[in-house]
Amino acid sequence: MTSPQHQPGTDPGPGDSLVTAEATSGAVLSPAPAPSSDAGPPVLPDADAGSDDALVEPVETEPVRARGAAGRADEDLLVREGDVAGDYLERLLDILDVDGDIDLDVEGDRASVAIVGGGLDDLIGPDGATLEALQELTRLAVAQSTGVRSRLMLDIGEFRARRRADLTALAGATARRVADSRQPERLAPMNPFERKVVHDVVAAVAGVRSESEGEEPNRRVVVLPDQ
Amino acid sequence: MLEEALEHLVKGIVDHPDDVTVDLLTSRRGKTLEVRVHPDDLGKVIGRGGRTAKALRQVMTGVGGRGLRVDVVDTDGR
Repeated sequence: MTSPQHQPGTDPGPGDSLVTAEATSGAVLSPAPAPSSDAGPPVLPDADAGSDDALVEPVETEPVRARGAAGRADEDLLVREGDVAGDYLERLLDILDVDGDIDLDVEGDRASVAIVGGGLDDLIGPDGATLEALQELTRLAVAQSTGVRSRLMLDIGEFRARRRADLTALAGATARRVADSRQPERLAPMNPFERKVVHDVVAAVAGVRSESEGEEPNRRVVVLPDQ
Repeated sequence: MLEEALEHLVKGIVDHPDDVTVDLLTSRRGKTLEVRVHPDDLGKVIGRGGRTAKALRQVMTGVGGRGLRVDVVDTDGR
């Protein structure tokens, strides 16, 4: 009874997912592998390596534009990702006896999955740590089923939505300050999702730009005046 | 409930879901969930740099409390 239908999946991958993928994926600027490439074994190991940041980073500095073209055609895949993720999470909620509804959506070039309801704090965790972990596992489950690495976004109890609002305010205020003072400002360390929110806001303010510096988990955004 | 939750989480990310077992051990020092998977799936459950195992631990302590341990048992050496 504990085996949802998606498990065996279509995955072509060889077992030893620990080894490959990581070294090269840092240089990969293109979006996630196209679904048509499922002949190649490298797809799944990459998914498992979960070098999330490698894919997110390029997007940060080049908001929106970097994707778009390649992403659009894959809407069917994104819908499927949402379905698999929804099954995976729904079953978890059942087991844990947690009330929560699952909303599925596609936002831009990513599947978006939200668990909504009250009493979800245990699944969010301190600073969203459990949410991040659950997103990671859900992406792996999706990749296991589709054979394609997933970049789906998970939100729980509107945690990300609220965080996004806070960060948007922070980034806007910082950008305006830097535009006036012409002095760079470093923000606190943030995860890739949070940095992307900040970069997008700063990009819309005249006279300033932003970069990321440092290594995870201390990677942070610097807001700089334009030369 | 905790075993079942962890079993579900792991089954979804491996090639051999039928080979996944989870045991809950209780000792004076607290509770430990022992996960066993097919040897070929060990890498998947651990992940790059232990990333996946860490995610599993994070979720399980989130729902089961801080004292809960999660051990991925290496069955390769049988």
